Amino acid sequence: MSDTSITNSQELLLTNDGVPLKVSLRKSLRRTKIRSFLLILPPLLFLLLMFVTPIGSLLSRSVDDIAINKVFPQTFAQYELWEDKSQLPSEEMFAAVVNDIRVTIKVKDDEGIDIGKNLLGRSGTRMTYEYSGWKSLISKTIKSALKVDKKSKEEVKPFIWEAPFKDKMIKRDKRWAKVEFWQSLGAMKDPYTMGYYLNAVDLKFDANKNIIQKEEYLKIYNTIWIRTLQVSLMVTIFCLLLAYPVAYLLATLPMKTSNLLMICVLMPFWTSLLVRIVAWMIMLQQNGVVNDTLMYILPCFEGMVNLPFFGATNIDLCFSDEDRLPMMYNFTGTIIVMTQVLLPFMILPIYSVMKGIPPSYMKAAQNLGATPTRAFIRVYMPQSVPGIGAGCILVFIVAIGYYITPELVGGKDGIMIGNFVAREMQRTLNWGLAAAMGAILLAAVLVLYWAYDRLIGLDNLKMG
Amino acid sequence: MKNVITKTLVAGAISTAMLAGAVQAEVTLVSWGGGYSASQQKAYVDTYSSGDVNMISYNGGLGEVRAQVESGSVQWDIVDVLASDARIGCDEGLFEELDRSMFLPSPDGVSMDDDTMVPVPNDCVVPQIWWSYVPFHKADTFSGDQPSTMQDFFDVEKFPGKRGIHTWASAITEMALYADGVAIDDIYDVLSTQAGQDRAFAKLDTIKDHVVFWSSGAKPLDLINSGEVSMSLAYNGRIGGAVLNDGADYVTVWDGQVLEEEWLVLLKGAPNRAAAMHFLVHASSSQAQADQAKWINYGPMRTSGLDIMQAGEPWFNTGVTIMEHMPNTDEHMAGGILANPEWWADNGQAVNDRYAAWMAQ
Repeated sequence: MSDTSITNSQELLLTNDGVPLKVSLRKSLRRTKIRSFLLILPPLLFLLLMFVTPIGSLLSRSVDDIAINKVFPQTFAQYELWEDKSQLPSEEMFAAVVNDIRVTIKVKDDEGIDIGKNLLGRSGTRMTYEYSGWKSLISKTIKSALKVDKKSKEEVKPFIWEAPFKDKMIKRDKRWAKVEFWQSLGAMKDPYTMGYYLNAVDLKFDANKNIIQKEEYLKIYNTIWIRTLQVSLMVTIFCLLLAYPVAYLLATLPMKTSNLLMICVLMPFWTSLLVRIVAWMIMLQQNGVVNDTLMYILPCFEGMVNLPFFGATNIDLCFSDEDRLPMMYNFTGTIIVMTQVLLPFMILPIYSVMKGIPPSYMKAAQNLGATPTRAFIRVYMPQSVPGIGAGCILVFIVAIGYYITPELVGGKDGIMIGNFVAREMQRTLNWGLAAAMGAILLAAVLVLYWAYDRLIGLDNLKMG
Repeated sequence: MKNVITKTLVAGAISTAMLAGAVQAEVTLVSWGGGYSASQQKAYVDTYSSGDVNMISYNGGLGEVRAQVESGSVQWDIVDVLASDARIGCDEGLFEELDRSMFLPSPDGVSMDDDTMVPVPNDCVVPQIWWSYVPFHKADTFSGDQPSTMQDFFDVEKFPGKRGIHTWASAITEMALYADGVAIDDIYDVLSTQAGQDRAFAKLDTIKDHVVFWSSGAKPLDLINSGEVSMSLAYNGRIGGAVLNDGADYVTVWDGQVLEEEWLVLLKGAPNRAAAMHFLVHASSSQAQADQAKWINYGPMRTSGLDIMQAGEPWFNTGVTIMEHMPNTDEHMAGGILANPEWWADNGQAVNDRYAAWMAQ
């Protein structure tokens, strides 16, 4: 519009204060843009600071092996030159270990505080993840390698250990003569490693950095991954089965009754998670309410009965102490408690979608001759699919990373990957492995989300 | 009007700063909760007059500590740590190395580091207690023969019922080997070999279908009280605390107990370093060490603390004698296994992985 006016009149359209209209317009547009950006800046910064940065830094740990490479650069360089890895390495590699220790011990941080000792300590922890025993081997060797001749009159007192080091190190600790220790260095020699991811799926590197299976008795994570999926799927299905009728009732009952029902749904949602879990423990444990009730109400009959066809038969129908159902501290317990805990996440989205389905559709279908069942299946159910999808995704995603419930009621066959992430974070301090497991979980959720988009479509997702 | 507002603001800022200062001066002591924290509260904190100490609980492990130190926002001052964590944390530089000359000698003038029952592993640690993993059961659980050895704990035929054990490998692997007939002095040598580990796990297999796992110290008592298990491993002080303070009818089987060291450490970059150090000096004194045993049956790490207790019997707060409930008496030590933290620092990852695999399979 303005372009034509410019070409037509051969002069610029000006505003009152003589600025070309186009410039003024652009300026004011930019101003609104900046203003709206400033408005979203605080939440954006918050998101970046509190969400993206920590997750990013944790994920980067899953491949990060820089620390150990800074401590033992010469050793790893020698590793590359080590040809026959079934034989002990040469003197150069032994010397490289000692030299690396002597260099690292002098490292200071930005403020000039000695941190060399701590860097070496951390390396010891890192190395035990690859092979048991590294920690004490390294700390013993550090002590000997750094021992100085106190009688010497020189200003910088010379080290007692002098080259060649091979025999001295083996004499100090015979484990230096075990080739397995040296071989295990192979998995750490690169600053970025896939080792943690391999570990998380029961694989590992051998001395030449080929990927191989872990020892049979150390295989654990694949079982846990499968179980995690299994639990999440089962919980999602049970939640759906239980939630659908409840949501239907909520959506169709008169306001007064449905409000009361809604409170029954929300009450547990507002109750502390721990309280709910402990309540389930009291209900389901070996001597809990459910088992006690079964003991009480089930008849105990034992004796000879004259049955038709069978004749005299000994019948033993007794729910005795041995028959008490194991429902707690196992897989069953985890499923039961998680289903109850996550139920509101399924009910609420389904309910909100059902609330929006006009009741007249069902009536119309029936008027056109459909039976109530047919009308429900063909008309009502398809319209509630967005709620089902939202509920299932929500429950599945929350369930897959669940930690506290399996920890408390999971026992030995109900624990999930979340418990192992916690174990690596808190107890064994293997944060790289924890980060790798977290990354795999995140990827699994994203894949699921993508699959949902392809199959059902994200437009069909309705959270409420 | 403007003046009033300014004044209010300034006054507000000053009082906030003072409040912050007051909060700052409160030393945070992180320990394990339950009867154990209660004993520390009574023996160390309530007797400390030079400042406030706030106690909070954790479930062990150095994860939280490392996160605080690495991120540079340290919230805790003093942490009560296990023997292997005491070594790993000091090695990694998570703890402050302490000036040993600050600590009080024993009444006989022995310096603190020469007064401990085991050599002090590094300069980060301050003596705390001796405790142990032990099996226990209710007095009326079994009629006839009563469990008396570690073998009985692994014998579900003779003593039916489930067994409560913890979710990590330390102590239980040693116990399995001991129950399988390995001499106490050989346990770690055997455990260092592949065959030895296989042997320990084969022994564990014999009770695998009968175990219930616990991960927090209060849980074993719940499991026993509710009848979920007939015997359980537990921290000896949880059992003793319930017996001595509340009259519970638990029986502790001392044979095969695994004794562990416990230390206090000061975090690197602790917000109240000076005040915390002052408190550590108080909490590690021979008297405070002995006082702690008035409230729970954990043995003091300082030898002089044990001497004070012995001289002061009956020592427990309810007026009963305490020495026979201690894990480190001669009688209880006869079948006692001293845990080897260096071995666990070396092999913990691999053995714990294997244990987790065993649990899950």
